[in-house]
This record gives sequence, structure tokens and C-alpha cells, in this order.
Amino acid sequence: MNASAEPSPDTLATLVKILAGFNKTGTELKPETRFTEDLNFDSLVVMEFVAVVEDDFDISVPLNILPDVATVKDLALAIDKILKDDGR
Amino acid sequence: MANLFDRWAPLMAQRDALFGDGINPFNVVMDEVLSQTEATIGGRHTILVGTNNYLGLTFQPEALKAAHDALDACGTGTTGSRMANGTYYGHKDLETALCDFFQKKHAMVFSTGFLANMGILSTLMGPEDFILMDADCHASIYDGVRGSSAQVIRFKHNDPADLDKRLARLADKPGNKLIVVEGIYSMLGDKAPMAEFAAVKRKYENVYLLSDEAHSMGVCGRYGRGVPEEAGVEDDVDFIVGTFSKSVGTVGGFCVSNLDNFDTLRLVTRAYIFTASLPPSVVASATVNLEIIKNGGVLRKRIERNSEQLHSGLAALGLKIASDVSPVVAVVAPDPVTAIAFWRGLIEAGVYVNLALPPATPFGYCLLRASICAAHTEEQLDRVIGIFADVATKLGLIDTDTQKVAARA
Ligand SMILES: Cc1ncc(COP(=O)(O)O)c(C=O)c1O
Repeated sequence: MNASAEPSPDTLATLVKILAGFNKTGTELKPETRFTEDLNFDSLVVMEFVAVVEDDFDISVPLNILPDVATVKDLALAIDKILKDDGR
Repeated sequence: MANLFDRWAPLMAQRDALFGDGINPFNVVMDEVLSQTEATIGGRHTILVGTNNYLGLTFQPEALKAAHDALDACGTGTTGSRMANGTYYGHKDLETALCDFFQKKHAMVFSTGFLANMGILSTLMGPEDFILMDADCHASIYDGVRGSSAQVIRFKHNDPADLDKRLARLADKPGNKLIVVEGIYSMLGDKAPMAEFAAVKRKYENVYLLSDEAHSMGVCGRYGRGVPEEAGVEDDVDFIVGTFSKSVGTVGGFCVSNLDNFDTLRLVTRAYIFTASLPPSVVASATVNLEIIKNGGVLRKRIERNSEQLHSGLAALGLKIASDVSPVVAVVAPDPVTAIAFWRGLIEAGVYVNLALPPATPFGYCLLRASICAAHTEEQLDRVIGIFADVATKLGLIDTDTQKVAARA
């Protein structure tokens, strides 16, 4: 992911809202929060979470990008890119 | 230095905590195989209701004879891959038999169904292409698409509208698209709405459909060609992947197709090229059993009857069953500890089913998964239902009043 780019505030806010429902650790949700290390997401939770994200943003998130997504910010940037590619 | 296996220490600790000592699914050994439906496990005579041996063809006399003959004629193994020294006349005959069985022009035999999915799915689509897979697909499909250079998108399980939406978003992308589904899903026994998927496929350009018929071949369709045949949409299904390890009663995998130049895949599919081919005895028994399956209307009727008996028998006890009547009857337990106690109660009373826990299951279900065999007798299944009732009652999963009502009904 491009470390210098910043995700859209709307995307970030929506993501944080969705994540709240998956946050079992009580960790404060910030752009740099990591899914595996900070939120204890396992592969199954990742899949459920991605499905909710897809519904909410009305997009398809390709499985191929998931290995490169470590933080909330990474995912927000990826979603921005998908929305842009879809012409939205 | 850290121990190589420390990474899995939490998993192992969880396993030890859940299973403790005693019999568990990881240490079941069949000491003696008595028939397609019975074995000795831990010195106990056991009815097998979790073998995926849907048609009961593992001891089919003609297949046994063909296997013995091939063994004597060609030896115990080919010691080579299909591409090198491992293609015998038997492998070609089997591919011809598969073409005849599925009424397709081309067939490719792999060493297992897992390898067929790995090979086909990692190879077929290129960097500009898209794979759209059902979210509940088998591990071999997940592992296969992981090796593909295409973009991989999941759609909601058995949801043609969700697939449609995702295909619509890709409509102006030039690449090819491959839809991947299964006929019957292994864990819950639920069936794909194949006609609806085919209709969605027809709406768009450059879209192909692949179905894994592992659990529906031999079981669905008048001639056993699976869910596409049953749904009347065989021409829309461009690729069927399957296995010989379930209804065919041996081991091996395959892919059949009507597409021109399908044979190109023989030159580029690593899981086909870089592994040894099936032994001649296996190939011979699969070839013979395909013929039995094609004409296996009577066996399919038996499966239907048996599925109905087990499903309604267990449902009448008040147990929750994960899907409609199907050759897979998956009883849902409330939590892993209860599921394990249930499984253990069954096996200690002489009934073998599969224990399936998350993450291997959809919805985080804990399952006692039974699969029907055409060779099960009515008496065997009655006994199985009775033992389920005993164990479930002991675990407090069903109240005996409901059961009495059910028995009277
Ligand atoms: C849906 C599905 N596909 C493929 C396979 C793999 O088949 P095989 O046992 O031939 O490797 C299985 C069986 O485990 C399966 O359930």
C-alpha cells in the first residue's frame, strides 16, 4: 500500500463504524489499528468482516488484495481505489 | 530458537482442552472393514454413516475384478506422471468413459479431486480475468484460486442475485470471468440453484461456469451426471470437476468440458504434469463403476429413500438439521463441547459420523455430519436413529416428551 496517501475521511469513518461490531478486544479503532495483531481477527472473522464491508460499500473486494491489507488505513485506501475503478 | 511448531501451540492447546483423553476424530482407526456400511473401530462393531460412499460401490464385484485384472496385467503403480511414462491404455479408456458418461468432448483425469481443483483453478484464468466463487466452496477451490493470477471475488453462498450484482460491476472489464460453484455442498448438504446461476451467466459476455460435482455425481440427475443434469442446464456448465473418492468408490479426480482446445490444459497444468498418475487398478475400478453409476437409477432411489428416513427420523427427535432432505444429514449441536460429547456418545454406541467444527463449517456450526449410502438398510438406519435419540437425550438436547409425541405421530 502507498504509505503516503491518505484515505477519504468518509471511507475511514464508515469502516470504523463497521469494525465496532467486530471489535471484541476493546482496542481503540484508529487508522493504524492492525486487524490480526490488535483486533485478533482470524481468517474466518476476516471473511465475515469483508462481506459486511462489501455490502456496505456495494463493492467486491478481491481476495487477492487481502494479504497486503494489515491496517484499517490499508483497507480504506483499497476501498477508495475500488470505488474509483468502478467510476464512483 | 523458537520451536518450529510453536506457531500452532494455541491450536494444539485448544484441541487438548476440547478432546482430552479417549477416542476422538483424529485417532479413529478402522481395524476391520466389514462392508461398505460396517467396520470394527476400537474393537466395536460400528455402523458407518459418514463415508461419502453414497452409492456403496467400494466392493462392487465387477470393479473388484477389473481392479484385480489390471493389477496383474500392469502392476501396482505407474511410477510416472500423465505427461511422462504414466499414461497407460487404462487412463485413456477412463477418459473416454468420462466423456461418454458426462456426454462431453473432453476429459482429463487427475490423481485426486483436490489436485483437479488445484490444477484447473490455478491455471485456467489469466491476469486480466476474474474468478467469482461461492463463499462456501471447498478448501481445494480456495487453494486453487490462490494460485491463480486472476482477481478472485467471492459471492454470497447460493445467491444468484449477489453473483449478478458482482458480474454487473465487471461488465465493462474486458477479461474473461469464471463462476465457480458446487452441486451439493459437503458440510450441510445444501444444493446450488444451478438453473438460476446458469440464467445469470447467460446475461453477460465472456462468462464461464464451473461446477464441482464431488457430492452430487452419481446422486443427482437421471443418469447421475449431477446437479447440472437435474436442473437441465448441462450446456451452460462449461467445466465439471469431480472426484472418484465418493460415489465412484475409489480415488482420483477429473475435469470434463465441451470447449475446443481443452487439451491445451494438459501442457500447462502443473498439478497434472508434476505428480504421478493413478495406479492401473484404481483406474480400472473407476471405469467399471462409471457404467454402474450411469445405469444406477435403482441405487439413486435407495439413496433418496434412505436420506428421507434418516432426515425425518432425526428431525422427529427435535434435532436441528442444517438443510432439506439430502444425502448429507448434518445435525447442528449448540457448541463444540456438546458436539464432541455427542460424537463420542455415538461412536461408543457403534455409530460413526463426521464431527465438523468451525472454521471448517459455515455459520460457525458444530456438526454431526452423516452421509447416506445406498447400501444402508432400513434396520441399520433405524438403529442409528435410536442411538442418536439415546445420546441426545443423555446430553439433554431433546426432551423425552417431544420424543414420545414424535414416536406416536
Ligand atoms: C467439494 C469437494 N471438492 C473436492 C474434494 C476433493 O476430492 P478428493 O478426495 O478426490 O481429493 C472434496 C472432498 O473432500 C470435496 O468435498
